[in-house]
Order: sequence, then C-alpha cells, then structure tokens
Amino acid sequence: MNDSALLQDAVSRVFMDFYDNDRLNAARREGWCAELWLALEQMGMTLISVPESAGGPGGSVVEAAEVLRLAGKYCASVPLAETALLAGWALAGVGMAIPSGPLAFGMADPSNPFRLQRDGGAWRLTGTLENVPWARHASALVVMATIDGEAKVVSAPRAAYHVEASANLAGEARDRVVFEQAVLDGTHIVGATASISAESALQRGAFARAVQMGGALDRILEMTLAYTRDRSQFGRPIIKFQAVQQELARLAGEAAIAKASGMAAAASVMAEDRAELSVAFAKIKTGEAAQAGASIAHQLHGAIGVTDEYLLHHSTLRLWAWRSEYGSEAYWAKRVGAYALARDAAAVWDDITCR
Amino acid sequence: MLFDNIDFASLELPSHARELRREVRGFLDDERKRGSYRAHLGHGEFDAEFSRKIGARGWIGVTWPKKYGGHERSYLERFVITEELLAAAAPVSAHWVADRQSGPSFLRWGTEAQRLKYLPRIAKGECYFAIGMSEPNSGSDLASVRTRAERVTGGWKLTGQKVWSSWAHEASAMFVLCRTSPLGENRHEGLSQLIVDLPAPGVTIRPINFLNNQHHFNEVFFDGAFVPDEQVLGEIGQGWRQVTSELALERSGPERYMNTLPLLFAVIDRLKGSTDRMAQVTVGTLLARLASVRTMSLAIATEFSKTTAPDLATEAALVKDIGTHFEREVTEAAKALFDVTPVCDSEDEFERLLAEATIFSPISTIRGGTTQILRGIVAKRLQGAA
Repeated sequence: MNDSALLQDAVSRVFMDFYDNDRLNAARREGWCAELWLALEQMGMTLISVPESAGGPGGSVVEAAEVLRLAGKYCASVPLAETALLAGWALAGVGMAIPSGPLAFGMADPSNPFRLQRDGGAWRLTGTLENVPWARHASALVVMATIDGEAKVVSAPRAAYHVEASANLAGEARDRVVFEQAVLDGTHIVGATASISAESALQRGAFARAVQMGGALDRILEMTLAYTRDRSQFGRPIIKFQAVQQELARLAGEAAIAKASGMAAAASVMAEDRAELSVAFAKIKTGEAAQAGASIAHQLHGAIGVTDEYLLHHSTLRLWAWRSEYGSEAYWAKRVGAYALARDAAAVWDDITCR
Repeated sequence: MLFDNIDFASLELPSHARELRREVRGFLDDERKRGSYRAHLGHGEFDAEFSRKIGARGWIGVTWPKKYGGHERSYLERFVITEELLAAAAPVSAHWVADRQSGPSFLRWGTEAQRLKYLPRIAKGECYFAIGMSEPNSGSDLASVRTRAERVTGGWKLTGQKVWSSWAHEASAMFVLCRTSPLGENRHEGLSQLIVDLPAPGVTIRPINFLNNQHHFNEVFFDGAFVPDEQVLGEIGQGWRQVTSELALERSGPERYMNTLPLLFAVIDRLKGSTDRMAQVTVGTLLARLASVRTMSLAIATEFSKTTAPDLATEAALVKDIGTHFEREVTEAAKALFDVTPVCDSEDEFERLLAEATIFSPISTIRGGTTQILRGIVAKRLQGAA
C-alpha cells in the first residue's frame, strides 16, 4: 500500500467505528457526532491540508478530498470540510491563529450585510447568517463578510454569537447564527486577500460537498449490490434479473462519474488553476448523480429502503441535502452558462480541454 | 469497483499534447475557412482527399512504430487529435476504422508482412478499412456468426454474409469475423479473423440505405471467396479474443460522446450574449456533463499511455453508455432552446446539424455495443465484485 492508501485505510476504520444505525440516529438527533470528532482529532485529521506552519498537519487538498470522500461514504456528521478546507484554510491564509476544536464557517449574504462599529479599542459586530453548518457545536466560527465595502475574515469564538438550531434533511446541524453587538478585538478581524476570498471559499465548500456526494454514492452502490444479492423474489436473488442488473449498471455509472468529476475538481482547487469551472462541473454533475443514484438505490431496495431501521436513508438524505449546499446544480449551471454565453464556443472548448 | 485505481486528480495533458492541439486546431480552422469541407455530424463524409491531408500531417497511426509509418507518439496525443477532429465535425469517415481498430489489430496480432503491407498506407490516409462483424442473425450476440471459412489449398474459402459494414463500398479491405471450425460447446472458440482486400472476386457489396436514404451501410456477400493464408489475422481459432481485446480504447474514446458536440457549439454561438436563465442553466449543465465524461475518457487514455495498461474494458463500456446518452441530451436541449425546424439539406448550418443529430440519434447507442449490452457488461463485473 502507498501512503495515500494507508491513510485512507486508517481513516476508513475510524469512520466505520461510528457507522451503525444507533450512532447515526443519535447524530441526527444531536446534529453531529462528538465522539467521531474526538477520534478524528486524535488521528490528527481535522486540519488536513492546513500547512504545518499554521498549526495543521500539512497534506494536500487532494489528500483532504480522499478523506472527505470517505467521510461522505460513512455519513460522518462532523465539521471536517468546514474545519480543514474552509475555516483552517482561511485563517492560515490571512495569518490568524487557528482555534482548537471543531470550527464552523459562514459566508455573509451580501443582501443582509454585517455591521461593524468601533467601541473604544474593540469592535462590535452585528449580523445574521443562515444555515451555517455545525455552528452550535463549533468552538469558533469563521465568517467571510464584506463590511463597509471591505472583505473581511472574522474569527469569532463560540461565546460571541447566538445559535438557533436547525438542520439539513439528514439532521446535520445547519444553524442560524446571530451576532448582536458582539465584542471582538482587532485580532479577530482581518482583511481578506486575493486568494482567501468569499468566492474561493464558496468553491471549496462546493468541491467538498461534491467529493462527499461521490463517497455517499460509492456507499449506496455497495449497499444496493449487497441487497440485490441477498434479496430473493420469484425463487432467485433479484440481481439475477436483467432489469435489476441494468439499473445497477446505471448506479455504478453515477458513482463513477461523481468520483471522476469530484477528484478532477480537487486537482484544480489544489493547483488554483481554473478551479471555478472545474468545481462548478463537479458540483453540477455530482448533484445530478446524487439524484439519479439515490433514486435507483431506493427503487432496487423497495420498501425496506425507506424505513428508519435500514441504513440506506442516512446516505440518501445526505445526498439530497448536499446537492443544495454551497450552490445547487441550478446555481452553478447558471454561472457556467453565463460564462459560456459571454464567450464563444471555441473559447469554451479551449477552457474545457486545457487539461 | 470500477475505476478503482484510477487517479482522476493527476490528469494533465503533457505540454507537447497541448502544442499539438494548437497545430490541429489551426489546420482545421484553415480548412474550414477555405471551404474544403462542410460540417456534418457522425464522423462526416467519406473524403479520401481529406484523410490524405490528415495522414500527411502525421495524425493517423499516431501511436504506431515509425517503421510501419507511424509516429511513436502517445495515446494522449492521439486523444487530442481525435478531440479536435470531432469538435470541428471534420470528414474523417474514410480513415476512422483503419486508424482506430484495424491498425492496432495489425500491431497486436498481425504478421510482419501484413503490417508492412497495410500500416504505412493507413498512416498516409490512403488505405481504408470496413468492419465485417455483424450478420443478419448476429448483432449483439456476435459469437453466433455463421459466415464460415473452409480450409482449401493455400488458404480459406469464405462463404456467408455481413451487414452494417460502413463504407465497405469505398474501403480497401475489411476484417471478416468467421467460423473456421464448427460451433462447439464453447461458442467463443473456433472463430477467426480474415483480411479480405476489396474489391475481390466472390465478394459482392450491396448498399443498405440508411433511414434518410443515404448510402454508407452495406451488406457484403462472400460466395466462396478465396482468402490466402497470409491474410489470416492472428491465429486461427483466436478470433473472439482478438476482436474483444481492443474494446477498451474503442469504447472509451471521444467519438463516444462528441458526435453532437458541434451542435452544442452552434447552440452556444447562437446564444452568445444571452442572459436568459433557462439558456444559461441548460448550457451550463451540458458542459458539466461533457467535462465529466471527458474526464473519464481521458483517464482511460492516460492509463493506456502507461507501459502496462490495466484491463479497462468495463470502464470503457460505462463511458460509452454515459457518453452516447449525453450526445442525445445535447440534441434535445437544442430543440428546447430554439424553435428551429431541422432540415437535412439546409444552407443554414444550425438547421442542418440539428437534422443530422436527430436522424443519427439512434445509432450511437447501438453501434459498438448497445446500451443494454454495455450495462450487462458493467453488471457482470459488479456481480463479481466482493
């Protein structure tokens, strides 16, 4: 095994320790899985891809993507993408200290801007964020916001904001965060940079969900394959029916294309080379694959697949939820379309074939 | 399960492949400006002069050894050339089969004499091949072919009928899959491949017109045609292994998802500047599908450019299934976005491309392995997976 395979193997074991119905249902009630987070911290995995100089373990974005694929595969309800690829990345990039513990990450809605007032030597921050992943369980929240026309990175300790708990379709914490005259000092607010921007944060979030969806598709393919082998009707395992085989093949295709586009995006994000297009392609295609794949998996499982006692729904609920996080297919497709129609076909073809 | 050890994060065309792309694109731009061809979908027309131009530039037999007229370049360079020819809807029908299938088969199974006889001419764009596989009663079930060759002094006597042999009426030769020993318990045994030069005594080629009444398909009759021993490809009895061995590259190439791409390009150019949401979302979605299936295809070509290529026939089947359906989605999107009537012989390129995309739409998901056969191949692999 090479290093990457060893890492994936080790991480898989940890994720699998927490992959059973009781633990997944508990995570759904609580909005995350605290024990899994501790296990990942002990492995030194929670800041993967954050450079050692900033207090991270190092590692590439592609390695982080491999770990996130496995997190998606095993329904890991932890802020791994947010802590490592978003908050950790942003704080390291602007030279701020990275707080310990799970980190949440939010992007202010430009139509509902944050306000910042000077208060003696400190600042008072006011503003609201919707659907912030894991906010209630985080030790700190990193916010990208344009305040008085300037892009800022804000690192806010948990005590600085209120949380109104909410959740995505799979029960993962997606909370409303309210800053009400929160007192922060100058070390908590730093100007954003060209590379640490709201746009690159959105791309990283979208790419993270794309690779997580790829992992979840791998899992539902495994489950559906196992189920169609075990389940007998008309006197034989249903996998022996061609109608079932044809659908399994389609499901394998959805899982494969999701993996391909997600990992291609990982390479672009890592190289900071045409990441916008590559991430958009991945988020669109994995979102489509999530829908098509979840439909097939449920269809082949029949009624057992829609019950709470069977594990399939933990994956499919996440696939449906992640499709719309960090930009839906429609959001990214509109952007790609706008880009394409502002150019001509030759220029678009050139951009697609540059790799 | 599938694509298990494929590294999608390291796909990068080498710089010489990118330079080659500029070169091919420049050539095709010039040809179009000079009006040397009209864009047609489905590999375009049979245009021997065009194929000779492509050959003269070294863009046929790209990966083959120089001693056979090849250019000893990589599969990735071949990939780039294929992409650009298809993107430009260039007329490549004449040399397509010879370059993609016949040449590699000669390199893998052929004798030195066969290689020297055919490969340099194929690479020059002067020698064209037809495929002799399907028969009236053997389509997806290829192993059931009944065309037979009987041993005679110095060679084989070929009797039977092949169908759907595109451009056989223009071809220099064809590979004929036939039975050289009677059907036994293992139906994959006893099959062989013969190389039949065309035209030849005892070989009759008749048109089967396509649904638009045009002629590119043929039925080919063998009435005791003599094929000398030196025209046997590979080993007698190994025909099945030989014909299935090249499927990975054949099924995963850009021609499996790019047939309607010129139509998508026309859609984009026609919508230029549009801020209509439906137009943007539709185009963006199609480009994401294109880029994703291309990533898979490029990954397979990349594996083939390494010294020891793994068996990727199942992955290739998947690419063909996804790719050929993408082609059809482009056509439907064009119809949803524009209220245009498709017209086959229209002077308006958009109307013409839309018409061609429509009438050729059933073919891609049939030739080279039907959707159902491909999904069966994938399912078989899945069933075997732990």
